[in-house]
Amino acid sequence: MPKQKAMLIDIKRCIGCGSCETACKQLHGFNPDPEPTLSDTTFTVIEPRGDKFVRKVCMHCNDPACASACPVGAIKKTALGPVVYDAGKCIGCRYCMLACPYQVPRYQWTKLAPYVKKCDLCSERVKAGGQPACTEACPVQASVFGDRNQLITDAWERIRSDSSYVPQIYGLQEAGGGSVLFVSDVEFEKLGFKPLPTGNQPVPTLTASALGDSPKVVIMGGTILSALYWITQRRREVALAESAGKSGVSQSNEERN
Amino acid sequence: MLERITSRITLWRVIVAVIFVTGMYATYVRFFEGFRASTNLSDQMPWGLWVGLGTLCGIGLSAAGFGISAAVYLLGMERYRPVLRASILISFLGYCTVMMGYLYEIGLPWRFWHPIVMWNGRSVLFDVCVCIMTYFTVLIFEFAPALIEKLPGRRLREAILEHHHRILTGVVMAGVLLSSMHQSFLGGLYLITAGKLHPLWYSPYIHAMFYMSAIPAGLALTVMAVYLSMRSLNVRVDFSILSDCGGMIQLLLIVLAFFRLLDLVANHAVHYAFHWTPEAGYFWLEMAMLIVAPVVLLSFDKVRDTPDALYGTCALVVAGFIVNRLNVSINALQTAMGTHYVPKWTELSSSVMMVAAAVIAFRYAVIHLDILPKQPVTAKAFRRWMANGGLSAEA
Repeated sequence: MPKQKAMLIDIKRCIGCGSCETACKQLHGFNPDPEPTLSDTTFTVIEPRGDKFVRKVCMHCNDPACASACPVGAIKKTALGPVVYDAGKCIGCRYCMLACPYQVPRYQWTKLAPYVKKCDLCSERVKAGGQPACTEACPVQASVFGDRNQLITDAWERIRSDSSYVPQIYGLQEAGGGSVLFVSDVEFEKLGFKPLPTGNQPVPTLTASALGDSPKVVIMGGTILSALYWITQRRREVALAESAGKSGVSQSNEERN
Repeated sequence: MLERITSRITLWRVIVAVIFVTGMYATYVRFFEGFRASTNLSDQMPWGLWVGLGTLCGIGLSAAGFGISAAVYLLGMERYRPVLRASILISFLGYCTVMMGYLYEIGLPWRFWHPIVMWNGRSVLFDVCVCIMTYFTVLIFEFAPALIEKLPGRRLREAILEHHHRILTGVVMAGVLLSSMHQSFLGGLYLITAGKLHPLWYSPYIHAMFYMSAIPAGLALTVMAVYLSMRSLNVRVDFSILSDCGGMIQLLLIVLAFFRLLDLVANHAVHYAFHWTPEAGYFWLEMAMLIVAPVVLLSFDKVRDTPDALYGTCALVVAGFIVNRLNVSINALQTAMGTHYVPKWTELSSSVMMVAAAVIAFRYAVIHLDILPKQPVTAKAFRRWMANGGLSAEA
């Protein structure tokens, strides 16, 4: 089991230069013009919030909603951390887009063979021992890449040594945690980080209980239906026997008469 | 010659022609120009009218097939046997349109078979796919006798039908379980949208709400289809059966209303209905059309026993049901997704084309197969049936 990697984004350090955006676009061969929000050609974006800059990027959840929603299992959480997308499996149902609590996955609406597009934390480079293009390009180390446990220790260290930081690592436990972590000197709610519907529980728990009930429902439903069918049949038999009995009685009466 | 052609042009034929021309054009745009040209879908609204109307309503309104087959085969309610085949045919055609719609909805339609071999047991959508496929097989089996009867060769027919009859009960039971499961799974799709779907609709039991609303709506559609068949084709069903269906629909709607209210109270969502928001408006529209108006109307004997009034009420139930499904799939989502979605005309026209195709297929099946009890054409039959509340229909 390889050590899980992660990316730590420090909102206090970020200067909003957009180097990460450009590096990402360059790596994927997209048009380098900056876009205001995530798109099928923008996997990360810097959103200004007041005088702060908030990087938006796939959170690479430990138990991703998108992966649980995908009917063909095209999205997977890898052991190293990245949540990757297998374009060869995807059927284009777009349920992942509806499921993601951060609204990250994007779709190639203009293409005739459209695919889902999102950050994969440069999975191939990470597998080869490297780091994502965005962290490599960051001039002020606002985004850094490393072992997840090490980064968590570093982040707590940063929070402890500098009292301006909010004592929280966003992404450590939110929705079950993930491989992208944030630290900030402004409360996360004020920066547009919405409260998650499941709190610290992974989002797929929302469907797990309903799905887990289905075998019980099938067994119970099957039993009830069989019982009802048996009662129906039995009634029919009794009715038949009774009518046969009656006609038998009347016949014998007729015979007597 | 020209006169012979012009005499065949009727208003309905013109409407059907318009529907098919626009629908085919929309189909062309969808498959040769892509989503951007054919839909108003966006990253904020990845599922639109095709899912809301095509899949959610298409399958929901096909619920009568399993409801009536359970009533007749498993509960011995022989009274409903005359409308059994019609309800199964509706379900069968409903699922056909849903499968056609599936090819429009998914971005890579040539990979439609992927869910058969690539499984993800944690996905509600995967379970929906599996249930649709297996239940469609069941529907083919349940509908098959209507076709087998038309096969040449009496011995062959009887041999097939005998084998068919032996496993029928098991298949019906499987069908009831499968379609119960995936009627609710359709609602279950939205379990994962917590925090996005408006609280007036989001519930940890939304799957149960979907299940409970599908059965009355499916029954209402069956009543409508049988009524229209009686009016325009020479088939006769004892009208009191349809009246009883009306009573059943009313009962099921009351049950739905009870649990819907209970659910809203349990989720602390009642107060949202009294906020001045578009969602509250959609909620009250849905409540009025799906629950309040039909329940009130159906409590009058006069409505239940008058064909036109019953038909109108059932149409209201079906419309209210469609409002509910569109509310869940579109209206209750758009605020949280930060967008405003209005379907493009191509989305609507392709959906309407599929509904029209199903209606036409239903009509020809009723004409050429033994779907509903046939009666020789007499000019006065319909009037007579109207006049005495269907009593003479039995004769």
